[in-house]
Amino acid sequence: MPPPAAPKSGDALFASVERVNAELFTLTYGAIVRQLLTDLEEVEEVNKQLDQMGYNIGTRLVDEFLAKSNVSRCADFKETADVIAKLGFKMFLGVTATVTNWDAEGTSCSFVLEDNPLVDFVELPDTCQGLQYCNVLSGVIRGALEMVSMKTEVTWVRDMLRGDDAYEMRVKLTKQVPEEYPYKDDD
Amino acid sequence: MASAAIYSLFIINKSGGLIYYKDYGSAGRTDTNDSLRLASLWHSMHAISQQLSPTPGCAGIDLLQADNFDLHCFQSLTGTKFFAVCETGAQNIEVLLKVIYELYTDFVLKNPFYEMEMPIRCELFDLNLAQVIQKDRVALLGR
Amino acid sequence: MIGVGKAKQYANVLDKPLSRGRQEVSLSAFAFLFSEMVQYNQTQVDNIAELERRLEDAGYAVGARVLELLCHREKGNKREIRLLHILGFIHSTVWKVLFGKGADSLEKGTEHEDEYMISEKELLVNRFISIPKDMGAFNCGAFVAGIVRGVLENAGFPAVVTAHFVPIEGQQRPRTTILIKFAEEVPDAYMFFSPVVH
Repeated sequence: MPPPAAPKSGDALFASVERVNAELFTLTYGAIVRQLLTDLEEVEEVNKQLDQMGYNIGTRLVDEFLAKSNVSRCADFKETADVIAKLGFKMFLGVTATVTNWDAEGTSCSFVLEDNPLVDFVELPDTCQGLQYCNVLSGVIRGALEMVSMKTEVTWVRDMLRGDDAYEMRVKLTKQVPEEYPYKDDD
Repeated sequence: MASAAIYSLFIINKSGGLIYYKDYGSAGRTDTNDSLRLASLWHSMHAISQQLSPTPGCAGIDLLQADNFDLHCFQSLTGTKFFAVCETGAQNIEVLLKVIYELYTDFVLKNPFYEMEMPIRCELFDLNLAQVIQKDRVALLGR
Repeated sequence: MIGVGKAKQYANVLDKPLSRGRQEVSLSAFAFLFSEMVQYNQTQVDNIAELERRLEDAGYAVGARVLELLCHREKGNKREIRLLHILGFIHSTVWKVLFGKGADSLEKGTEHEDEYMISEKELLVNRFISIPKDMGAFNCGAFVAGIVRGVLENAGFPAVVTAHFVPIEGQQRPRTTILIKFAEEVPDAYMFFSPVVH
């Protein structure tokens, strides 16, 4: 049996996938947010729906990431976070994230994005000040990690649309389901 | 690319439910009920093999060799299993299964009308899978 | 307003004229987002016609913004005024920016003077999508039809735009045709007929 292919670098990975103009992506996302604002009216509800949509995407997208990046099982949450930051963001969005602000237990950290293709051309109007415009991204992380047995909570702590100097989301590992024989008699 | 005769292909979801089955000439030996039962049995055997393994971190059976067929299994980290029943000594089936996994991420998971964990009914997946298997056959004839 | 809607933003876009093509995302990122948009909209409708209308509306918002962006970027803020020019602009420029290539063809309808068709062997948004049998002739290209309508209407050419699968002989997969039917109020002066780009 041939040895498994080595994981690719972020740049090589992004270069190897088919790409589209980011504007198609950005404007389509804008159209989705617009639809939600019309349908749901309450900004809080829109935030929830964006997170849910991100979660749904994450549960599907994780397989593509695993299939095309050749990464193998990560040893721990730290390694997982690094893989997401260096390969995950790059493969799909063409940007890298920095992992920072680890807590002492190694169960929560921050992803910091300086470039964020979701928000080109976006300015939040006064009526939407509570809108978490990028909630889809945090949802994707949560959904994708849940598919590889890591339950997380993901929240935004800095948002340039709200005047901060970067995009920062906090990822907290709440539960890691062990990868063992998962079927008990009462299942 | 792989070059071998493949008798049948199964995809089972993380709970052991059969979500895709394709027969490539096992001469009608299995009907729908058989394939469902086989999928579920394989799911359990695969899990048991992880438990039986004397070394920790075993991911389950990759290859089962019998007198007249080989069974190759690839399990994604998300728990979906792709397995193929092939002629004995078939080469590079693990590569073929990886290609099928990629087709699944394209033509199944990106299809808004596919519901997760449910049986796969996606015309584009069938078409692209048929092409991959066809290439496989051509490679075999040219051997 | 969210999206391209403010003069200030245009100034920013103009400040970086090379932004076109500078940034790319993976096709997969778009495909997953588009798929999720279709799934969300399915939860909001009772029938396929409504789903089509909602996807078209979403596309319309994209089309309106693309027109603004491109007019500033490519045309020095001159909007195309003649009908054939705007169609050519959609067929080549808009398509290239959004989908990375010009559309396969732009043809004039043979039965009606005021109908045009943009056809694509494989529409980008349909790349990974198989329509279930029970959804009949539904085409997610409704989103693209909406984009076309958004461009046309905001350039002063109201039209009804729809997406259709058209079988091609010898091919397993049908192509998608975006059918453009101009509203009657388009002044005749704008309709001059000369060979259409193919």
